[in-house]
Amino acid sequence: MTRASSQAASSDIAVTGDDDRLALEGVLDIRTLADAQRALRPRLERHPKRSLDIGNLRGLDTPGALFLCGLRERGVQLTGTLAEHQSLLDLVCGLDLKPLPKAASVPRWRELVIQLGKGADDAWHDMHDIITFVGRAANATGLALIKPHLLRPASISRQVSETGINALPIVGLMAVMISVVIGYQGVAQLRQYGGEEFTIDLVAVSMLREMGVLITAIMVAGRSGSAFTAEIGVMKARQEIDALEVMGLAPLHMLVVPRLIALVITLPLLTFFADVMGIIGGAMISQWLLHVAPLQYLDRVHHAVDTSDLFVGLVKAPVFAFFIATIGCMHGLRVKGSAENVGRETTRAVVKAIFLVIVLDALFSVFFERVGL
Amino acid sequence: MRAKATRGKPILSARGIVNRFGAQQVHDHIDLDIADGEIIGIAGGSGSGKSVLLRTLAGLHRPNSGAVTIDGKPVDSLDAAQKASLFGVLFQQGALFSSLSVANNIMLPMREHTKLPADVQEHVAAMKLALVGMPADSGIKLPSELSGGMVKRAALARALALDPRILFLDEPTSDLDSLTASGIDSLIVQLNASLGLTVIIVSHDLTTLFSVCHRVAVLADRKITVDTLPALRRSEQPWIHEFLHGPRAEAALAARKM
Repeated sequence: MTRASSQAASSDIAVTGDDDRLALEGVLDIRTLADAQRALRPRLERHPKRSLDIGNLRGLDTPGALFLCGLRERGVQLTGTLAEHQSLLDLVCGLDLKPLPKAASVPRWRELVIQLGKGADDAWHDMHDIITFVGRAANATGLALIKPHLLRPASISRQVSETGINALPIVGLMAVMISVVIGYQGVAQLRQYGGEEFTIDLVAVSMLREMGVLITAIMVAGRSGSAFTAEIGVMKARQEIDALEVMGLAPLHMLVVPRLIALVITLPLLTFFADVMGIIGGAMISQWLLHVAPLQYLDRVHHAVDTSDLFVGLVKAPVFAFFIATIGCMHGLRVKGSAENVGRETTRAVVKAIFLVIVLDALFSVFFERVGL
Repeated sequence: MRAKATRGKPILSARGIVNRFGAQQVHDHIDLDIADGEIIGIAGGSGSGKSVLLRTLAGLHRPNSGAVTIDGKPVDSLDAAQKASLFGVLFQQGALFSSLSVANNIMLPMREHTKLPADVQEHVAAMKLALVGMPADSGIKLPSELSGGMVKRAALARALALDPRILFLDEPTSDLDSLTASGIDSLIVQLNASLGLTVIIVSHDLTTLFSVCHRVAVLADRKITVDTLPALRRSEQPWIHEFLHGPRAEAALAARKM
């Protein structure tokens, strides 16, 4: 029971004795090892071959034994070993010890080149994967729409509620906030030209054409795109996807198509909701800053916007939804091995989805400008 | 391979442990004394609360009532450094930190709790790897690159990093092939004999229970029965009787006598 007593007593180590015969007293364990090494090193350097009495050690653990084994290999004689320490010393000294291999170090500049190459390669494969998966997802969705028995209404309705109804509060709040921000900036800038009442036009048009759908898409990408990746990724990590395949059920039909259809349904509806909330936010800002009553405000909005403005915003929503859902599901299915991959894939999915939404929005702007909408 | 039971004073005592999950009571006033330097097995059917008991003893789970004391001190009152030097836990899935290499997994507690220089830490980590029978070059591998048996060994090496006095093993030999499993069994006996480790094993594995443990605690019907195996085999409790006289138990017993 040496260990028990060593724990109770103060755990100290002391080196005693004269030049030829040194002795260790106290507890030689992982806590005192550094002190023991520091105390012994100068004395052993002067007379490397000498004897070390360890009969007064009250406690010894494996790092301590390892240290003693190292001393013995260098020619130090260990004397007075207690029986209970002997078996530990035998165990530790008998181990076939090899140093830990070092990870091969690469010079900085080469690492940079390697990273660049890897990045380019990854990007290429990513693009390839996205195009393939978009094709497969579109194909599966098209098939499900032609053959309604492949549709899973229960699953779709659950996803609609998850991605749509539960997102209403946050999307509405964001839309109001954004229109308040635009309103404040508009009033501050337009007042210089005496045209602050044009703020109403600014808020209404920018909410309907751009901000409503963009804010909603970004919120949904962060909220539902990530959820898709995490849900499907965890299923993949737990081999549930394999289980589906073995049962002859296509994961694409079971998991991807319902999410895709659900998001294509909900995102335009959410966008419309965001548009309405944005207009309401505009009414609030007009009341505060411009002292325009809500009815006057509505009249002004009515003149400022056209049906095409609403249309331009809403038509983008299903396209964004399609890509958000596809990217989310694709990254979920890309999870390999264990659960630690899920987090990484989720991050990638969200970043990629938001990036794509903004790129597509830019392309849409160019397109609508060309066709004169 | 069966070592003689060393009966010291209890190092760990549990008194009146009650654990309840919702309406379901798992443990009903369980008392357990574990002697210093003993290997004790915790057995029981699926859902009998073996792992919950282990978590309770290790201070990871607060029981609904009852207390666990280590050397007479309540387990809740221990500070982090004391806990680290007292307990080593091998979790069922290994629980290796996935972002760290095996060697860094072992060195993490050393780095946080001791003042050893880095080269000594590496030397000690290499020793721990050799102790659990892993090659040194597995030290730079990530946990995801290891096989199931290697994960268990690496996790055991990490549990031993600070030379704890009490080692908790949650299913140390489950999902291992029988050769690796018996390697782990003999390692447990060896560590117990040369380090004086107290080992608490939760296991379904009858071979482990029969060949390694000095005493076995069987959880049945929310109560615990602790005794040596021969005495437990005479027990009248239906589950214990069935457990220790079933075909698998007889096979494990026969294998031990061979």
